[in-house]
Amino acid sequence: MKDKRFMKAVLVITALMIFIPVVVIVIWTVTARWPWPSLLPESYTLRTAEELFFGSHKLTEILLSSILLATLVAVLGTLIALMTARATEIYNVKGKRAISFAALMPLLVPGTVFAMGIQVTLIRMHLNDTITGVVLVHLVAALPYCITIMMDVTAAVGDSLEEQAAVLGAGPLRSFVDASIPQLLPGILSSVSMAYIISYSQYFTTLLAGGGKIKTLALVLVPYIQSGDRALASIYAVVFVGSALIVFFILETLIHRMVKTK
Amino acid sequence: MKKRLLTILLMLAMVVSMTACGGKQAEPESADLSSAGWDEIVEQAKGTKVAFYGWGGDENRNNWLNGTVADYLKENYDIDFEYIGMDINDILAKLTSEKEAGEENGSIDMIWINGENFYTAKENGLLYGPFTSQLPNMEAYVDLDDPETLNDFCKPIDGYEAPYAKAQLVMFNDSAVTPETPKNADEFLEYCKANKGKVTYPALPDFTGSAFVRNLIYEKCGWEQFQTMEADKATVKDAIEPALEYLRELNPYLWNEGKQFPADSTALDQMFQDGEVVMNMSYGPFSVASGIADGTLPETCQTFVFENGNIGNTNYMAIAFDAPNKAGAMVAINAIISGDIQLTQYSELRELPVVDQSKLSDDEKAAFDAVDLGKGVLPQSELLTHRLPEMPADLVPVIEEIWAEEVVGK
Repeated sequence: MKDKRFMKAVLVITALMIFIPVVVIVIWTVTARWPWPSLLPESYTLRTAEELFFGSHKLTEILLSSILLATLVAVLGTLIALMTARATEIYNVKGKRAISFAALMPLLVPGTVFAMGIQVTLIRMHLNDTITGVVLVHLVAALPYCITIMMDVTAAVGDSLEEQAAVLGAGPLRSFVDASIPQLLPGILSSVSMAYIISYSQYFTTLLAGGGKIKTLALVLVPYIQSGDRALASIYAVVFVGSALIVFFILETLIHRMVKTK
Repeated sequence: MKKRLLTILLMLAMVVSMTACGGKQAEPESADLSSAGWDEIVEQAKGTKVAFYGWGGDENRNNWLNGTVADYLKENYDIDFEYIGMDINDILAKLTSEKEAGEENGSIDMIWINGENFYTAKENGLLYGPFTSQLPNMEAYVDLDDPETLNDFCKPIDGYEAPYAKAQLVMFNDSAVTPETPKNADEFLEYCKANKGKVTYPALPDFTGSAFVRNLIYEKCGWEQFQTMEADKATVKDAIEPALEYLRELNPYLWNEGKQFPADSTALDQMFQDGEVVMNMSYGPFSVASGIADGTLPETCQTFVFENGNIGNTNYMAIAFDAPNKAGAMVAINAIISGDIQLTQYSELRELPVVDQSKLSDDEKAAFDAVDLGKGVLPQSELLTHRLPEMPADLVPVIEEIWAEEVVGK
């Protein structure tokens, strides 16, 4: 009983810790001045909304390109991770420990170093300032997480059900799709969401690999945070979080529906 | 910044070692451009795209460049002009990689740059030039003998960049909170004593904080001796000793007793807006007017400078060594230094123009005079009569280093 109450308190406090800053950010989107110690802003403004919708950054275009880019990275990343996980967890591939270690390597190298090194490589491959280059770089950033997630679920799910399906006469593809995929689904969803949000929030790598030609929401948002324009930074942050949540919601519904109809 | 610079240098060293045998250099079009006539350049620029890279944190400037300037270039020269926000450190990192990889056709045409960054970029061959003598508007609008046209932070420009806008350090406070405006270093010390714990400046190497400290050094040690000083740590330290003494004397009255300083001017801006400190400073001489217009600053804000003058410098536009459209960049730069565009920069962004008043026609002069700068600022004439030159670019990091050792928490 006591335990339950304690857990509830922790839950409420955690929720508040997430909720309150979000509310503050939302208030900041229309704030002109908010000096200490006022509890509420002293004056309000609509300049942020004006800038958002009528400014020189084309919001719809930027949103679309960010979402498309992140979705592409999420799907590709999860596919690669799924294949890697199957190779190391189910089939006895040679050097599988080396593979799983190598998958985590990008996490060990600082982002700036990584981005600059990769840029030289991209220029040599004539992929700098292209969407392909940006997707590749984002993939490298997202894959460690995707692979770790997919390895865990794949190891837990195993291939016993698939074998069963095969014994019952299903082909390899059908046994994988019908027997394993539904069990892997929670992992696939986490991997997709993780890769999506990583790609969505990349700043420095997008800047270097895309050369400023590939525009994403993060590229517009970060300069305003750095320059201390709190109102503008807040409104872009709200758009950033809001659009990511909407995409997650759609993705989740889509994937669930896809599985149900199977 | 210094850390970033160091990172870039280390990176450079690494990249060089990796690419020692790769990469060949060729400059396809630059050879004929340098001898080309202006009409030829304009013709070549017609129907092309120009990408201008620079700091993207100012919404007004972004809108002005992508609006007013872009429209002007499209209409008059059939150029599609785009401004892309990127920090100068990132721009230089990008150019460095491109140089090392032997790229001949990059993506950056024009760069917004000055000071140490210009010095480093020019030394490392990241810029294209010289080109400014080919721009007709340099002759038509800019004072070619002005030290700021010839030198950037005392380092020769040699035609590698053209002036863009003038900046000048100003201080400001809210007259409703503290009506007094310190006129010199001694009055500033008194001001800090009277408002104990509510005055500070951004930690060096922040651009603005660094300029403010240099300004106090000028107050205490004069400015002339630094113009030709060698960037030797012992020499510099000897020369600025009285100022160091003064800065240490300030510390006990500053915010957090001078044990800590706000990380950058952004942090200080927010502290001032929130009422945590009573005085702020800016490199944009008319930024108070923009703040009042935006509603982020109260209407009672007032700008002030020291009676002996405040540091001013110019920021510039340069062309990348691997710019895909050098002709277009030259046409765009030429347009931006014209009286028309400088006037819109003055009226829309409230930036000090780089045009020489004596080269303007009467109509143009009248148009500049008619600009309403807004509230809380000093007139252009007062700023220009209280303007002191910058120190040599290589002294700046030395002073920043000495400040960190001798002033913080002392």
